[in-house]
Amino acid sequence: MAASCVRTVGSFLGKCMTCSSSINTVATQVSQQVELTYSALCRKNLAAAGPEKFTLEYIQKQVEEYEIGKRHLANMMGEDSENFTQEDIDRSITYLFPSGLFEKTARPLMKLIHFPLHKAVQWGADGRPFHFLFYTGKQSYYSLMHDLYGKILKIEKHQDRLRAKGLFSQDAQLISLGPSRWLTKEELELLLVETISTHDYDRFIKLMEHMLCMPYSSTEEEFVQRYRRLLEAQSLKQLVPLLEKDENGVAFSTAEGRRKTSDSSVILRDCGSGHITVNGQDYLQYFPVLQDREQLMFPLQFMGVLGRFNLECKVSGGGRSSQAGALRLAISRALLSFLSEGDGEVMRQAGLLTPDPRVRERKKPGQEGARRKFTWKKR
Amino acid sequence: MAASISGLLKPWTPRVFLVRWSRYNPYYLEPEVSKEAYSRPATELSAEEKEQRELKTLRPIKAATSGVSSSVFDDPVISKFINMMMEHGNKVLAREIMTQTLENIKKKQVEKYHKASEGEREAIECNPYTIFHQALENCKPVVGLASIQKGGKYYQVPIPLPDNRRRFLAMKWMITECRDNKHRRTHMYEKLSQELLAAFGKEGNVMKKKYELHKMAEANRAYAHYRWW
Repeated sequence: MAASCVRTVGSFLGKCMTCSSSINTVATQVSQQVELTYSALCRKNLAAAGPEKFTLEYIQKQVEEYEIGKRHLANMMGEDSENFTQEDIDRSITYLFPSGLFEKTARPLMKLIHFPLHKAVQWGADGRPFHFLFYTGKQSYYSLMHDLYGKILKIEKHQDRLRAKGLFSQDAQLISLGPSRWLTKEELELLLVETISTHDYDRFIKLMEHMLCMPYSSTEEEFVQRYRRLLEAQSLKQLVPLLEKDENGVAFSTAEGRRKTSDSSVILRDCGSGHITVNGQDYLQYFPVLQDREQLMFPLQFMGVLGRFNLECKVSGGGRSSQAGALRLAISRALLSFLSEGDGEVMRQAGLLTPDPRVRERKKPGQEGARRKFTWKKR
Repeated sequence: MAASISGLLKPWTPRVFLVRWSRYNPYYLEPEVSKEAYSRPATELSAEEKEQRELKTLRPIKAATSGVSSSVFDDPVISKFINMMMEHGNKVLAREIMTQTLENIKKKQVEKYHKASEGEREAIECNPYTIFHQALENCKPVVGLASIQKGGKYYQVPIPLPDNRRRFLAMKWMITECRDNKHRRTHMYEKLSQELLAAFGKEGNVMKKKYELHKMAEANRAYAHYRWW
């Protein structure tokens, strides 16, 4: 089905489409399937082959062909080939190849996928490998460790020279790395284009930490920064709702919140009276339990603005506790637009702005409940 | 770069199902609910606390549970006690019992206060929260026993207990005591207030249990070297 799609695509548009369809993810899968049916006869375990890897030249060729195909497509559609974006491409393809398939991933597609890198050939024509650590099997990893140890020896030599001159001081400034973290194992594997084990990764981190602890390690700062990633402050990721003004000039903001299966939306008005209405009823009537009312007041009491705002709340679904939780989240979010950034950060650290991910755990087969097992009988 | 952490921040299910896991990624930190913790200026903090603060700005934080709030009436120890008393998820009932217990303690102490002479009045503690905390402190065991196997036999070895465990044992003994050893017609809050006042005065069954555990630990002192941690 998909194969016939690809073939009609190829025949219909000639050279330009065949090159773009070859980048077509559907087509690569299909062509690989076609190739693999032959090689499948030769190789028994297809899963052991691992994910497809590509050489740099192949990737570059694909990118060039994609660009050419994009320009041809733009010309075909009569549009500007310079500013032809991915959305325009998607639109054109759905116009030119209307597909009735329900599975969206099976429809015709023209997009550059992320090609995982593949190692170039590592030995010359005479069969001798280029890298001296080739026979370790993990040449990039071991060469990295080798370089790292070389750097440590260099620092120690530097320290000895300073000691000889009498200029050595124990509290020379260590590297200031800023808010950053080490590369994760996956990121390191991507960098080295090699699989490494958890043990290898731990050894690498330990050696790095060892180097950082030595005085005068600031000389190798650039090397270390290559293996660190910056951490963004979490407070920058908060979405602050808009502060609007209604007809009477009263400032208000709206926000939504969810907890388990409850949905809520809250309108926070800067009136100064402190009335709270939930689904049209007074909050004292709607939440007879003290704990739920405490949860409603929590964000307001925490910021010290108890009597200032009027709350108009709507909530549906779930039980009494999850409705209260959903309302609390909505109130905290609405409150963000009335507060400064520092206060917003304080609310986040108090746990008011995180949506609670805990949901009911499913019952598993062979057990009575989510965790409870059936009574164990010896025979 | 920083965007690659977004994969770490989603509600998380481990690939291999561990026995104890939570819907939060282990990257998340616990929330700090009390207002006082944020009003302290940077000069008062030690280096560790400064580092903690730095870390909190960079890491995501878990949501606060529905049992905690920043209200002055909210006490973490009392919340823990309420959760331990709760059966089949009936938090309303457990909380009701707790409030009735505290009210009862206050009533008894105020009665005692009015009946006492001038000199004795200062010694009588009327605040039910201080009584509760002090009673729990008095009930906490200092050492516990662990069953350690050596040479085919199991020995009861005295071990130091971490703070959480001590608090848990005190609360557990208190609750079990009140559920089991009471007259058929007494309410839970009555029995609990009696026990708490007794523990405050270092008497009562719970204190007896604590002293027995201490005596056992003292008796098995000879095996203390079997502990390897």
